[in-house]
Amino acid sequence: MSEILLERVGKFAAEAKAKIVPLRKGETVIEVDQANVRNFISHLVQDLSVRHLTTITGLDLGENIGIMYNFSQERETIHVRTTVPKASTAVSIVDIIPGAILYEMEVHDMFGTSFEGNPWNDRKLLLPDNWPSDLPPPLLKSSKPAEIRRRLNLEAPTKE
Amino acid sequence: MSTDRDKRLREESAGLMEYSAENLVPFGPIHPSLKEPEYFKIILEGERIVNVIPRIGYVHRGLEKAAETRPWVQNMYMFERTCGICSFVHSLCYGQAVEGLTIFQVPKRAEYIRLIICEMERIHSHLLWVGLMGHWTGFETLFMWVWQDREVVLDLVEAISGNRIHKSMNAFCGVRRDMPEGMEKHIVELMKFLTDRARYYRQIIDTEETILERTQKVGAHINQDTVEKLCAVGPMARYVGLRHDVRLNNPYAAYGEVPFEIVTRKEGDVQALLRLRLDEIIVSANMISYAVENLPDGPIKVKIPPVIPAGEHSSCCEAPRGEIFYYVKSTGGRTPDRVKSRQPTLANLPLALEILKGQTLADVPVVLTAIDPCFGCMDRMSFLDTEENKQWSWSGEQLRQYGINYYFPDKKGKGKA
Amino acid sequence: MLDQVAKWARKRSPWIFHINASSCNGCDIELVASLTPRYDIERFGAVLVPSPRHADVLMVTGTVNAQTRGPLKRVYEQVPEPKHVIAIGACAATGGVFKGCYNVGQGIQDVIPVDMFIPGCPPRPEAIMYGVLKLLGEVD
Repeated sequence: MSEILLERVGKFAAEAKAKIVPLRKGETVIEVDQANVRNFISHLVQDLSVRHLTTITGLDLGENIGIMYNFSQERETIHVRTTVPKASTAVSIVDIIPGAILYEMEVHDMFGTSFEGNPWNDRKLLLPDNWPSDLPPPLLKSSKPAEIRRRLNLEAPTKE
Repeated sequence: MSTDRDKRLREESAGLMEYSAENLVPFGPIHPSLKEPEYFKIILEGERIVNVIPRIGYVHRGLEKAAETRPWVQNMYMFERTCGICSFVHSLCYGQAVEGLTIFQVPKRAEYIRLIICEMERIHSHLLWVGLMGHWTGFETLFMWVWQDREVVLDLVEAISGNRIHKSMNAFCGVRRDMPEGMEKHIVELMKFLTDRARYYRQIIDTEETILERTQKVGAHINQDTVEKLCAVGPMARYVGLRHDVRLNNPYAAYGEVPFEIVTRKEGDVQALLRLRLDEIIVSANMISYAVENLPDGPIKVKIPPVIPAGEHSSCCEAPRGEIFYYVKSTGGRTPDRVKSRQPTLANLPLALEILKGQTLADVPVVLTAIDPCFGCMDRMSFLDTEENKQWSWSGEQLRQYGINYYFPDKKGKGKA
Repeated sequence: MLDQVAKWARKRSPWIFHINASSCNGCDIELVASLTPRYDIERFGAVLVPSPRHADVLMVTGTVNAQTRGPLKRVYEQVPEPKHVIAIGACAATGGVFKGCYNVGQGIQDVIPVDMFIPGCPPRPEAIMYGVLKLLGEVD
């Protein structure tokens, strides 16, 4: 991260008890916990004018789900990462950045994390309508494609 | 199940009209509409749209999951087939994300060749889109002529890479095929031809009544602040004046060396998008001519081992439709641990829904095509008119005919069926 | 006698309905390109129609995912007899490069009966035209 940006982010990071992990030139990861992530992102958007949210990436980290907000501004990419336990609820940032609405729906579909405050949280974005409710979300490491295919009737010929 | 849907539909129409599923009279459905899932559910009050609900699970194939079990290099050719129109940029972005985890550098000649193919893809995609706009507004001649010119670009792509659509030119740290020898003069001539054609079409869209009627001032209530808040990308950000272009802000491949001018417009309506994309064709043609004439010598590829070191890296590229994003995480094995890809149409969808509010039904096909979505998204739409208590479902073609007949009633029967 | 005339008319002028079942759009743009002046499938009388109820030939592209299986079957049922189905591309034949992905079928023949497969990723417009005409007996 550039020196100026690093200094300005550093102030808010200390306040939010966040950890700055530089990956390489132009790419940084900032780890924040759930309680402070909304505050931190508000600072990024309003005070530092880092307004472009590229996407929200979900990660299966074993016991937790990682939620990475990928921001980009000029030559800097800033990943703000937070973690929640599996099958629990995370906070939504749709009121700070309205463009986040579809990305949160995608993480909900793929990893099973609910976003509290997202108006379309109970809708499916990508998964088919006949997705069985007892099947675990597909992008978890424990989900097996062969099992999903069997449950969605994609293996056997459908001769109805 | 029907009470759930009832409740949801009631919430969606935000208390404008009390209704229940029993009152709705299906209106000439071609599909058995009430059970038919749809891409867009459009809620109307008379002629005006008040809300649009998207449902986009139709092309979801599970690529991110499959990528975790396939070797690194196989994924490159799988991600290429995410989209047929911007396939090279997908493989390039994935390749760049993975190359960043290794210690190897991409040779200069390969970077120039990557730029040339990227820009050719941009020209082909924009010409495809201009033709489609002609088709959706009822101007079939424009569609036929533009796609005829597009064949020129596809021939060139085939001469260089061997295929028209899925070029498979990329490899890790390089490209798979070199530029054929002795083609520089021919390429520069063809770029001049395309520039002249783009100028000619530019003149048509500025003066032809069919196009002006349906694109001028349509969707013009969007301002820069809305676009930034909804995080739109590509031409959908540039048509209100924002200078959002990955080639300018965060150059990759050879974009730092080849002269590049960003194209923006201020009007914020659909006609601005037409002008913007045609101007971008001219900029791309100039870049290709420059790159071909200044192509550096050297190797086209560096061989890298099949095991990628541990780490995480992300990369952005500018596809014809906007910004593509790939994030790759490796744990030091032969297959990735996580690959995330974000297509530009998903980023532009909230903006498209916002633009549609307040438009008339006849403008829907033009506005939806203006964001340059994938074909499949236009196939099915269902409509709910809360004023007249009607619900029906149309295919894209029927909506297109409705739009043409609304604006040009004396043209009935002359448009292509 | 009338039967013969009808058969001749269908062969001479196939009316095509195109449905995209979870495709990457590569095959779709090659199909639409076959309408354009360079390839011009219309000189054989082929026409794209807006509704399956007017069609003789159903052309399907794409890996059929779980969400599109139902609509594909419903569209097939709406096409009146006699009908033909053409599967365009590698994905419609076997699932293509996506075979094994969790939301992808194994080709459309699991959902509807297919008369002809046109392989390719994507097949060229000339290949698509050849396939349509061969199906109708125009070429052998």
